[in-house]
Amino acid sequence: MTIYTRGGYALPGSSLAFKTGTWRVQKPRHVHAAAPCHAVCPAGEDAQAWLAKVDEGDAQAAWRTLVSVNPLPAVTGRVCPHPCESACNRGDMDAPIAIHAVERYLGDEAIRNGWDFGLAPPPADARQVAVIGAGPGGLTAAYHLLKRGLRPVLFDKNPTAGGTLLTAIPSYRLPRDVLNAEVEHLLSLPIEYRPRTILGREVSLDELRQQYAAIILAPGQQKPRPWSVDGVTPKDLHEGLTLLEGWNGHQSAPAPYSAAVVGAGNTAIDVARVLKRAGVTEVHVISHKAKPGPGVPEDDVMPALAREITQAEEEGIRIHEHRGVRRLLLRGERVVGVEMVHMKKLRRANGRLARVAFDGTETVLHVDQVIPAVGQVLDTRGFEGLLGGQGWFDLDDVMRVAGQRNVFVAGDAGGNAGTVTAAVGQGRVAAAAVAQLLRGEDPVIEAPRLGVPYAQLNVHYHEPAPRVVERVLPVAERGECDEVDLGLDRHEVEAESRRCLSCGNCMACDNCWTLCPDSAVLKTQEIASDGSHYVFDYDYCKGCGLCAAECPCGYIEMIEDL
Amino acid sequence: MIEALEGSQALARAVVLCRPGVVAAYPITPQTHIVENISKLVADGVTDLELVSVESEFSAASVAMGAAAAGSRAYTASASQGILLMSEVLFNISGLRIPLVMHCANRAIGAPLNIWNDQSDSMAVRDAGWIQIYCADNQEAIDSTVQAYRIAERTELPVMVCVDGFTLTHTLESLELPSQEQVDGYLPDYVYRRSLNVRQPISQGTLVGPDVFPEARHSHHQALINAIPEIERANADWAAVCGRDGGALLTVEGDPDAEIGILAIGSTIGTLAEAMEEFPDYPKVRLIKLRVFRPFPIEALRAACAGLRKLAVIERAFSAGMGGIVGTEVRANVPGVTVYNYAIGLGGRDIPLTIYPRILDAIAGDDTRFQILDVDLSRLPEEDR
Amino acid sequence: MSATDSQTAEVKVDIAQLRRRQPRFQGLESGHRACLGCGEALAARLVLESAGPNVMIANATGCLEVFSTAWPESAWRVPWVHSLFENTAAVAAGMEAALKHQRQTAKVLAFAGDGGTFDIGFQAVSGMLERGHNVMFVCFDNEAYMNTGIQRSGSTPHAAATTTSPAGRERMGKRHLKKDIVSIISAHHIPYAATATVAYPSDLRKKVRRAIDVEGPSFLHVHSPCPLGWGHDSDKSIQVSRLAVETGLFPIIELERGELTSVMPIRHPRPVVEYLKLQNRFRHLFADDARAREELEHLQALADYNIEVYGLLGDGPDPLDTNGVDSVRRGGAKWA
Repeated sequence: MTIYTRGGYALPGSSLAFKTGTWRVQKPRHVHAAAPCHAVCPAGEDAQAWLAKVDEGDAQAAWRTLVSVNPLPAVTGRVCPHPCESACNRGDMDAPIAIHAVERYLGDEAIRNGWDFGLAPPPADARQVAVIGAGPGGLTAAYHLLKRGLRPVLFDKNPTAGGTLLTAIPSYRLPRDVLNAEVEHLLSLPIEYRPRTILGREVSLDELRQQYAAIILAPGQQKPRPWSVDGVTPKDLHEGLTLLEGWNGHQSAPAPYSAAVVGAGNTAIDVARVLKRAGVTEVHVISHKAKPGPGVPEDDVMPALAREITQAEEEGIRIHEHRGVRRLLLRGERVVGVEMVHMKKLRRANGRLARVAFDGTETVLHVDQVIPAVGQVLDTRGFEGLLGGQGWFDLDDVMRVAGQRNVFVAGDAGGNAGTVTAAVGQGRVAAAAVAQLLRGEDPVIEAPRLGVPYAQLNVHYHEPAPRVVERVLPVAERGECDEVDLGLDRHEVEAESRRCLSCGNCMACDNCWTLCPDSAVLKTQEIASDGSHYVFDYDYCKGCGLCAAECPCGYIEMIEDL
Repeated sequence: MIEALEGSQALARAVVLCRPGVVAAYPITPQTHIVENISKLVADGVTDLELVSVESEFSAASVAMGAAAAGSRAYTASASQGILLMSEVLFNISGLRIPLVMHCANRAIGAPLNIWNDQSDSMAVRDAGWIQIYCADNQEAIDSTVQAYRIAERTELPVMVCVDGFTLTHTLESLELPSQEQVDGYLPDYVYRRSLNVRQPISQGTLVGPDVFPEARHSHHQALINAIPEIERANADWAAVCGRDGGALLTVEGDPDAEIGILAIGSTIGTLAEAMEEFPDYPKVRLIKLRVFRPFPIEALRAACAGLRKLAVIERAFSAGMGGIVGTEVRANVPGVTVYNYAIGLGGRDIPLTIYPRILDAIAGDDTRFQILDVDLSRLPEEDR
Repeated sequence: MSATDSQTAEVKVDIAQLRRRQPRFQGLESGHRACLGCGEALAARLVLESAGPNVMIANATGCLEVFSTAWPESAWRVPWVHSLFENTAAVAAGMEAALKHQRQTAKVLAFAGDGGTFDIGFQAVSGMLERGHNVMFVCFDNEAYMNTGIQRSGSTPHAAATTTSPAGRERMGKRHLKKDIVSIISAHHIPYAATATVAYPSDLRKKVRRAIDVEGPSFLHVHSPCPLGWGHDSDKSIQVSRLAVETGLFPIIELERGELTSVMPIRHPRPVVEYLKLQNRFRHLFADDARAREELEHLQALADYNIEVYGLLGDGPDPLDTNGVDSVRRGGAKWA
């Protein structure tokens, strides 16, 4: 019972005794959703998180965040088809963030400045884990094993680590000095590297099983997928992957007057551009999918990088979209052309997608050579016994081989989109699973977080800003090995990171704190236990929903609270 | 020092002697001379008070209220329509228990429009929760003004000092103003414990619900009851300072043993006292000067009326449709005394000395019904008489 | 209310301490009884954040007064007094006169709603301004008498339905226009008058600081949405207020000595229907009715008039226009 105060006065702030939270029928909650870039990244990178650090002006911290997942940003920044950018919500507003370019910048800066990964050597009694193959999957797996206190031993058949990065990606796209520097940077960590060691020859699977606590197989896909048109192959067939290996290894490639490359992926575009550089006058690409462009459904877009396609066309390469090869025109065993037909992937009556060729749309392309670039398959030497019925690994979610306790797979060998970034992601997943296993736990994969849709953001609070225009080497100046993409400078990178909408992640903008009529959002000095900068004071929150409506990042949702 | 002063001028100087920080007022006859005189004292640098010449009586009371709430001694003055316009604020000031002093230069209320003296204005706000002091003469008005601040600040209640318009405010008399030293010695610096202050950020004027509103009202009522000894003490202390005792709650004059009494408030009492001398053939009566109307001094009144058979209550206002205001309250509180009740001098009608025999003649009979004693019914249409 | 989840339980331990450590002046504390999403409660806290703590307030009768001070509790952390509905400016003037006499430096603020400013309190406001008191008068405009149950005021916009200007067979809401209070106020030749809204807190704060710094009377007219009275969802208060600005219906301006000295340019002018359709008080304007269509056009014309008279169309994007001024930055620097 309160005694009446003379004149009915009240003491300051005494309303705190009145808990208005009891009025509430819904309450705000911080959404632990991922930014779309994060949700779709095959490597599992949280681009939003490191863009935030760039925005804060700390490139090194951004790189640290980045390499906590992906140790090869200078590489992936150049070669990844960046599904993150296709998913980027900023695309709905003006244009996606140039995430790949920022990633590349951070990777290059780390090389330039010799930034330290900050990893301690494994303890003396650390368990040893064998990693077979020093491509992106194997390198990443080794790195993550080390990060988790294990002792990785990395085997490769070649003297130089890099795997497919070395053999399949031309240097105008991934300069060798960059690749070597990043790989060396990684191998300067306490990772034991054993080159020139071929599984099934220098070392056997059984020996590895005896000597190592676990094995991660990352041999890649090294053999071209067999290709023919109705069983016919030209006699002088040059296969795309082999052609690239030859060019990347010793700058040699066939140079007919004209050539047609069959395929829609990066290998096809790479082959076409290498042919141009090798002196082929007329280069065609025959793609069953469409070039990227507005209105093209995602599953109908050529998997090759959009900017590679653009640059290829700039260089005079002609791309034939939605075309398939129906017949090879041979004179004797020599190719004189191909018969192309319009094709589209359609859903058939049985519900399955299938490529349909439209009769009456055949055209002839006169070329001296046809080069397939339609994918690769496993070279199974040394681990034949581990394969499933289809000749592929049967793997569970954590990349463990079916029926094996401690054998895991990473990289292209595991069957993936065939991208470097996917290989990186699998390397990390496999290493994490190994670490869990060796701790005596059942390996489980972290549940993926859902991406925040554009509609959940309050874009009023974001200023329109054009995407950075990346500089490229003019066509006339493009030599055999010159890198075509010239990258961004610090100012451009910072401006680009400032465009990030921080989807699903608190950017500490203070909107919720400022706009709560009940002062029921409290600001924390550092960071709250839930990863935001704010705490809801449910004693006073009336559940009006303003914080959620005005959150520019979609970080707050209202849930029923009866 | 004794000076020849107009009542308003004397009151202005009395106010300034009390060192108010803020004076706010809006002109209305017959209050104007008081504020004009204060303005001149400000203009002459006699005082550094903040003079706020507002746009209405409503704001005058509000400015004074805000000033007092913010820790300054404050003053306002008004009359008649102005009192009514500020009436909402008057209730508010007292409910918040803000000490404040104002003069009411008593004047009739229209319609019909009338600028002359009666006490309908202050009587209309008798329930505003203020202490009301009615002054019989200008000397008493001066002394009451000084006392009013002391009472207000000790009781945390506002005080309305009522001075008959023209009759007192515009009359030139020989008056004695206290010295500044006398006032300073009597009246401490303004202290209001709940004043608005950034070091004490309390909230005043809250919403009070049914769960405690009756208690709030009771506390206000009790504060007025408790003010009675403070008023008596203030008067006694001031008498000790200046040697004049205008009476605390009421004063008994005339024949203390008389069985017939007349009670009046304000300047009427002077006329009646003079008339008593003028008509020696009429019996001397016990003359009761009621100074404090709120709080209503029941005990003092009963003591003053002890032994009376008949009492005439003379007032200069009434409640239309009911009768006298003071008379009704007196009647309810003096058991055993037959109370007669008359209004006189409404709207400035002259009160001649002959009113005295008329009153005595009137109370000789048994008719105790309220009357306007000096009304001339022949000037009314038949149906209104 | 559901059982507290673990997140709440975890931070509960030091939440009271955290509240005391907030890096802003909390002039209006939690626990007040304003409705969900109350624009006025938000506006009052924002004003005090920039004005406090060396201030004292005279507050008119109305929602703000009632919801903040239900005895024995008060949400205020500055000296505060509520006297009456219509005398706020005068009470503030008295406080200011007292402080002046005491040679104190605290600034006196007068808080009133639109009723206490446009209507019943208008005379006292005018008198206070004319006498040049050093008072910052803030009108929290929610465009009707909300405390008494949504009756029309001199500030209610044309065609808005209230309980005393309902829509019906013969009427399309309020017949009269919203009083142009800022022009009237600035005609007093006061040093500073400005409009602001809860949708643009940084702009509001800047104006509060300017108004505080002025020696003499200043006036802030703050658009304060009322979810209950306007009939919009409680989470729409900011959006509604923003649209009031972006449509041109509530121009954001500054006037010094009666001269227009700045406007907030509108980056993307919106049609008034975008503002109106969010609010039930304008629902009758969307009926299939010729008069409704006419009133929609009328309101659009009023917005267009404001845009023209105040020159609200900027010359290209401006960091201080309706889009630029509240663009967020990581770390919340914009509020500093």
